[in-house]
Parts: sequence; C-alpha cells; structure tokens
Amino acid sequence: MTTDRAQVVVIGGGATGTGILRDLALRGISGILVEQGDLAHGTSSRFHGLLHSGARYAVKDKEAARECIEENMILRKIAPNCVEETGGLFVQLKEDDPSYTDKWISSCAQAGIPTEEVEIGELRRTYPVLSPDIVRAFRVPDCAVDGFRVLWSNVNSARQYGGQVLTYHKLIGIKQSNGKICGVEVANQLTGEHKYIECQLVINAAGAWAGEVAAMAGLEVNVIKDKGTLVAYNHRLTNQVVNRLRPPGDGDIFVPHGTITILGTTSITVDEPSCSKPGQQEVLDLIKIGSEMIPELQNFRMIRAFAGVRPLYQAGNGAVGRAVTRNFALLDHQQQDGLNGLVSIVGGKFTTFRLMAEKTVDMAAQKLGVDAPSRTAEEPLTNPISKEILERGKKVFGVAGAKKAADRLGDNFVKVLEEAEKEPHKCKVFCECEAVSLAEIDFVARDGDSFTLGDIRRKTRLGMGTCQGTFCSYRTLGALSSYDWTRNHKEFLTKFLQKRWKGIRPVMWGQQMREAQLSTAIYCTLFGMERMK
Amino acid sequence: MMKKNTDVLIIGAGLSGLMAAAKAADSGKKVLLVAKGMGALGLSSGCIDLWGYSLDHPEEICQDPVQEIIKMVAAQKDHPYAKVWDVLEESLSFFQQICSQNGLAYEVAEKGNWLLPTALGTVRPTYLAPAGMAARELPRAKNILVMGFQGLKDFYPEVLTTNLKNNMNLPADCQLTTLMLDLGKIELSPNNLAYLLEKDEVLQRLVSQIKPHLAEEMVILMPPVLGERGHTKVLLNLVESLGVQVYEVTNIPPSLPGQRLQQALLHHLKKQSVEIILGCTVIGTTVLGEHCTEVLAEGSGKNLTIAAKSIILATGSFLGGGMEAQPGKVIETVFHLPIKVLDEKWSAKEFLSLEGHPFSKFGIEVNNHLQPVNSQGEVVIKNIRVIGANLAGANYPIEKCGNGVALATGYKAGKLVGEV
Repeated sequence: MTTDRAQVVVIGGGATGTGILRDLALRGISGILVEQGDLAHGTSSRFHGLLHSGARYAVKDKEAARECIEENMILRKIAPNCVEETGGLFVQLKEDDPSYTDKWISSCAQAGIPTEEVEIGELRRTYPVLSPDIVRAFRVPDCAVDGFRVLWSNVNSARQYGGQVLTYHKLIGIKQSNGKICGVEVANQLTGEHKYIECQLVINAAGAWAGEVAAMAGLEVNVIKDKGTLVAYNHRLTNQVVNRLRPPGDGDIFVPHGTITILGTTSITVDEPSCSKPGQQEVLDLIKIGSEMIPELQNFRMIRAFAGVRPLYQAGNGAVGRAVTRNFALLDHQQQDGLNGLVSIVGGKFTTFRLMAEKTVDMAAQKLGVDAPSRTAEEPLTNPISKEILERGKKVFGVAGAKKAADRLGDNFVKVLEEAEKEPHKCKVFCECEAVSLAEIDFVARDGDSFTLGDIRRKTRLGMGTCQGTFCSYRTLGALSSYDWTRNHKEFLTKFLQKRWKGIRPVMWGQQMREAQLSTAIYCTLFGMERMK
Repeated sequence: MMKKNTDVLIIGAGLSGLMAAAKAADSGKKVLLVAKGMGALGLSSGCIDLWGYSLDHPEEICQDPVQEIIKMVAAQKDHPYAKVWDVLEESLSFFQQICSQNGLAYEVAEKGNWLLPTALGTVRPTYLAPAGMAARELPRAKNILVMGFQGLKDFYPEVLTTNLKNNMNLPADCQLTTLMLDLGKIELSPNNLAYLLEKDEVLQRLVSQIKPHLAEEMVILMPPVLGERGHTKVLLNLVESLGVQVYEVTNIPPSLPGQRLQQALLHHLKKQSVEIILGCTVIGTTVLGEHCTEVLAEGSGKNLTIAAKSIILATGSFLGGGMEAQPGKVIETVFHLPIKVLDEKWSAKEFLSLEGHPFSKFGIEVNNHLQPVNSQGEVVIKNIRVIGANLAGANYPIEKCGNGVALATGYKAGKLVGEV
C-alpha cells in the first residue's frame, strides 16, 4: 500500500469538493481530493444546470436568495465560459395566486434581486410557445451553468497551485488516534489498489454520501436524500430560463442549455444516495405540469430523462422535500462530537458552491493556523481566450465548433488547436450533435483523468445530443483503440451505451422511439453485439 | 387534384414494398408504389438474414435456417413467418433471380448460414450475401488483411482484427494485419468514397498502395465502399489487379450494400413498368365498409387521389415511420389499424439484452392472407395486406430475421394480389 501526504483530504468530487480544493490551493494549503467515480458523476451533473438568481427562494428563504444572487454575479465574472447569461423569466398563470406575486416582488427587492415586469404582448411575440394564460411575467438574472465544466475548471485551477485529485478512488476508512484524525484509506476502483493518505484534516463534502462518510468516523450526519427527475428536450424551447411564479413545486422550471432545454424537477425522498433512476411516471408528471407553461410540450422531442439526489440537511428531524431549507451547514465535528480534524459541509445548492467552499476553507485554515484569505471570488477560473486564438480556431473547427470547443476546453483550447493544426485529420467532427472534434476527444483521452467513454463524455459533451452516442461511441472506440483502457472493446462500448439507454427508456416515444429502434438495429442487427465475445 | 387508378397500390419503398411490387407486376398487375422517403433498406446490411440462431441454444448459430423457421412457427403461431413459411423458398429464388438480372448477384453459403464479419469484428449469420460480401475463403484464410481509409471516420481496421480473433474460429496460424490507405483526403463519407473508387485512376492508386502488403492465400476485408452501383465492376477490377480475394464487411449506416440492393430493385421495377412516386406521403384514406376505396397522397405540394383494388401497407415500424409511439399507446400512421402492444414495459433494462426489447415485436396482426385483423381475429379492411416491419410478432434484432420476413411477406402479398 502506497502512502501520500497532504494537509487536507477532501472527500467528494462535486461542485463543493472541487471548490474547496481550489480554495485550499489558492491559500497555499496542500490538498488531495478523493472521488469514488468521475467528477460530477453525482448531484453536480444531475440538476437543471440553473444558476439561480435567488428569486425562486426569495419568499421563503431570504438568506438563501441573497447568497444566490451574490454568487450568481461572482460566477458570471470568474467563469464566463461556464455560464450562459440567458436571463430568466418568472411567469404567473391565471390560476396562480396574485398575492403571492406581490409578496415575491417585495421579497426579491429585499434580497437584492432585480426584477422587471415584462409586457405580456411583448412576451407573446418573443415566445409564442408560452401559454396564453400567462397574466404577468418578470425578468430576473437567472443563468444556465455547465456543471461539468465548472468542476473541471476548479480542478485545473487548483492543480496550478499544487492541488491533487484522485478520481475513481473510494473512501474505505478514516483513521483516528486519540480523538484526532490522522489519515484516510482509499481504494482505487479501477485497479483495486489501496492507498493511505496521511493528513491533518478531512473535509467531508460527499453530498448525498455525507452521512456514509461521517459514519466511517463513527459519527452521524443526517442527510435527507431527495431524488429529482429531469427531462432533456432536443430543442431550445425558449432562450431564457422560465420559472413558474408560485411557491416552488415540481416541474416548474425550464432551462435552455446550448441546443437543448431541461425541464424539472420532481422531489421524492429515497434511501440510497446512488438512486439516480428516472421513473417513467415522474416523466409523465413533469410533462403534465410543464404543459401548463408550454401547452405544446408533448409535441417536442425529448432526448432522455435523468435523476439526481439532492443532499438536503436539516439539523434535527422534521421537514422533508421542498420544505427543507436550501441553506448549507458547516459542521465542526470537534465542537459537535469531540473529534478533532473532521469537518462536514452539507446541504446548499450548486449556485452557492463557491461560498460554501470559502466558508469551509475559512474553518480549515483556522484549524491549520493559516491566515491567508480566500481568493476564489476574484481570480478567474480560466484565462480568457484571445481573439487571435479564437480566429485560428475558427479556421480549424469552423465558427460554431471553435466557440463550443473554446468554452469547453478553457485553458486547454490552445493545446488542442495546435494539435489539430499539426494533424489536420484530427479536425474531423466525431460527435455531430455537439460538434466535438477528434482532436478534442483525443486530448481529453490522454489527460490522465479519463478511464471510460463516460469520462470523455462528461468533459466534451460527446454523445449527449440527439443520437445519444449511437454513432460517436463506435467512432471513438476506433480512434482510441490503441489505448490500453479501450482494450476490452465490448465493455468499453457496452458500458457507455447502457448508461445512455437508462436515460432513453423513460422517454421512449415519438422520435426517441425511432432513435431507440435505430440504435438497436445498429448494435444488434448489424453488429450482433448482444452475442459478441 | 390528380387522380390515379391502379390494380395494386403499394405504400413504402423498403425491401418488403419493393418485393411486393416486383411480384405483383410479375403477375401482370398494374402497380403503383408511393413512398414518403427512401425506406430503411439503405440503412440495412444488404444481406438477407433469415434466421440466425438455434431455438434450443440461442447462443449457437443455426445451420439450417429454413428448417429452424418451420420448427419455430409450429410453436409461435403469431410470428410473421407463420403466415408465409409455405412460400419462403420460392420467395428466396424469386429474389435471387431478379437481383441477378439487375447486376447484383446473391450467394448462398456451403452450409445454411454464412458467418460474415462486421466492422466491429463480430460475426453475423446471414442466408444470402451479395457476391462482394460472401467471404467464402475466410474461415480457412492464412492471411487476413483489413484495410481502412484515412479520413473515413466510421471504419477502424484495428477494431475489426482485435475482435475477429475472439469471435471467429480462425486457423491458429492465421495472420491478421491492417493497412490504412491514403487518398489524400482529410474527410471521406462512404458515399463519396464509393463514387471515387469507380474511377480507374483512383482504384489504381489504391492497388499500388496495397500491393507491397500482399501475401499468400490472403483475404482482404474492406469497409463496404466498393462502388455506388457498379459494385461488381469495382470489386472485380480490384480482385483482378491484386490477384487475391477482396470482400466488404457490414458497417454502420449509411450502408452502400443496402443502397445498392434498393437501386437494383427500383431498376427492376422500372423495367416492369411499375410506377414509382417517391417523396409522396399518404395523408388520408377513404374506407367504405370493409374496403379502402381511395387514398389521398401529397407529394411536392400536390395532392393526388389513388383508387386501387388492392393496397399493400409496407410503411415499416417506428424507424420507417409506419408506427408512432405515444405515452401508453402505439398508432399505425396511415390507416390507424390496431397495433398489438404486448408488454407494459416496452424495453428491456439492458440495451444488449439477449431477450431483446418488447417494442421490436409491436405491430399489426394479420391472418394467413396477410389481411389486418383485430384482437378477435376479424379482418379489419379486406383489400389491405400488411407486410415487413409493419407486422407484429418478430423479434428482428435478436432473431436476425428482418430482411427474411420483409422478403417473404412482400413476395406473398404480391402473389396474393396478383390472384385478385
């Protein structure tokens, strides 16, 4: 068993965990992040992709609302390539309570969230797809945010300052001596090897798994696991986020993302943190509620459904589902349980991950006797790409392709561009749906953190469009077949196709049924892959 | 509004529709074929799969597909083959005959099923293969050379050789090598490559790149790109120039072998004076009592009413557009014929389940005359015959019977309407 050493071990490669790693690194504190799967494979990729303005929480949770608007403004500034400044709308339908709207307007004002009423005639002209029953509508500063990209940007930034990441490493033990944490044992999920990491402090940022992590140290952290199912549409139904103007409920937000729209979400308490199976009934419920805002919804093509588990935290017991606060809690287990060297950060939401990380590292720094302040609100996550580089990119990847690749790759764009310029055959687009080139796929495949086709997908968006990977997965296998980790071709393809299938099954109607029949025809009828040896 | 009168109207230009048209025309009937698109034939392998695996041992290749089908239909009366097994062999000969008359020879294997390689390096059992795919020497080859093309993003020789070793019983001393050919193009589609290879000078450039790699008793495998239509010509030129056997393997769409088959059949139908209108969608029907008297079709903005004595429905399944799935129900898109939806769950949990997906079996039930019936077994519309992927009961992707069912049901429908 090998041994590593760091001042801090961070458990969990979600938004909060990677945010913490970056904050630690920027303050000069050595940190190793441990993640059981790939980054963002948990909750941080299984949400709306909504960067909240805070307006949704304004009435009930003013503190959460205020944090959201502040963090929203910070993230736009430090990560412009991860945020699309779509703006958002809150729409009140005929049947919605008009007094709630008045309360909402004043609550937003109190929380510092700007709202601006939109003239209904103008709204109809801009978005004829929206319900004619909308009686009032307001603009708010909501945005769309790419979870995968934020997380990898956090990690890339942290690495520049010495931060380390171990993906596919599962926590199997927390070692303590005389009431003090001294290290953790982790198992490599791909090779089975074990590793011991000696440290002074463990930060539990495991999201839905936070209770399981605390239990390894013999402590109890009560995380409510609240599953939400979402649906992805193959179109941009509107160019702005659309929220229902009423107390938060199921299926009342549409978020445009690149070429698609995500509708969500449901809310059901589950037992398992890994319960990410979207249900067909939940999908039907979503469509029904979503149709109140977009009446023609059932005629639009869905690509897939997916589900994530919100890790909600409520000190003590009582509230469930939407009644539980979206605030986060920072637990000092020394104070709370007498165990020195363990901190848990629980609850919260994607929009406020940076703030959660800052508060957590403030506590960590104090424990370690470090007095450097947080710099994550000022320092950009990635350096902006120069006009000249982007122009060169357009020549190689085309106008739309270059912009997309630049946003996805951030600081690495120039490296990929140089390779494609040297080897023009790498300009070929492998994933037509998302305009992903071979150069980009090849770069990501060699970056040291990619072990499956799913890992490449999360970094490039390969296979996330209309065809759901039917064509590009086979091509990518071919292009990468000289790499060790593609050696078992059957497994390489099957795992990926199966994950895509899981999301297609609950929306298998209309065009997506045709797509399902096409992918079955290709992999069974043409390739006989069901009997492949 | 234009009006047309015909003996037989066929809706759909896939394999079943084209076969039905060929047989009906062969019986001396006036035939009109309308189709919305080009059909799914251009996405298919170009081979005729009849029945792939043993009923008792679903992992084992079956060696006598016709016998296996006869055994199967005794137990599965609702399988489309149960309605057409009596004409299966004559439909196969008819198909071979018209294809070869139109420059596309199909071959049968020494034993019942060919075992032909795919681009993934898997092996697929099939009954009839175009001469350019019928790799007779492969199981005994001493040397196999797999060739790809720089710039063709859908074919990778290394993938084929890696998996072929595990999936095909090759002689222990068989050498597998790969070669990437370079035509100086950064990006090539199967169709423009096929077009290029019909030019002699391009083919000769290839030959000079291949020659240094030739070895004794070699079989060369290539992606299916050897010519758009003049398939045999490109292949024969290549074989002659190299002095070794060359074969195409099955690959993902677009599929030249499927397109060539479609072209050959369309060519045949034109010679038989079948009127063909592509890009023409049936948008309305008139059904009086138990007969459809007229259909309304729309093509390039113009409307057309068609009166026909017999109508053959060959619009395919979901992929072809003959059926449409909505939450909780499936609709047949032209006549709203009853669709048999078997399971509450439409798909299996595993994408590559060996049981297959229930949705594959969804379709219209028919009697022995291929007339659509309701759940009580009563004929719904008497002058309609339903064929191919419109039919309920076949688990095509797992049973490997898609083109076989299309061919036999198309043939039988054509024969039946010929007798009307």
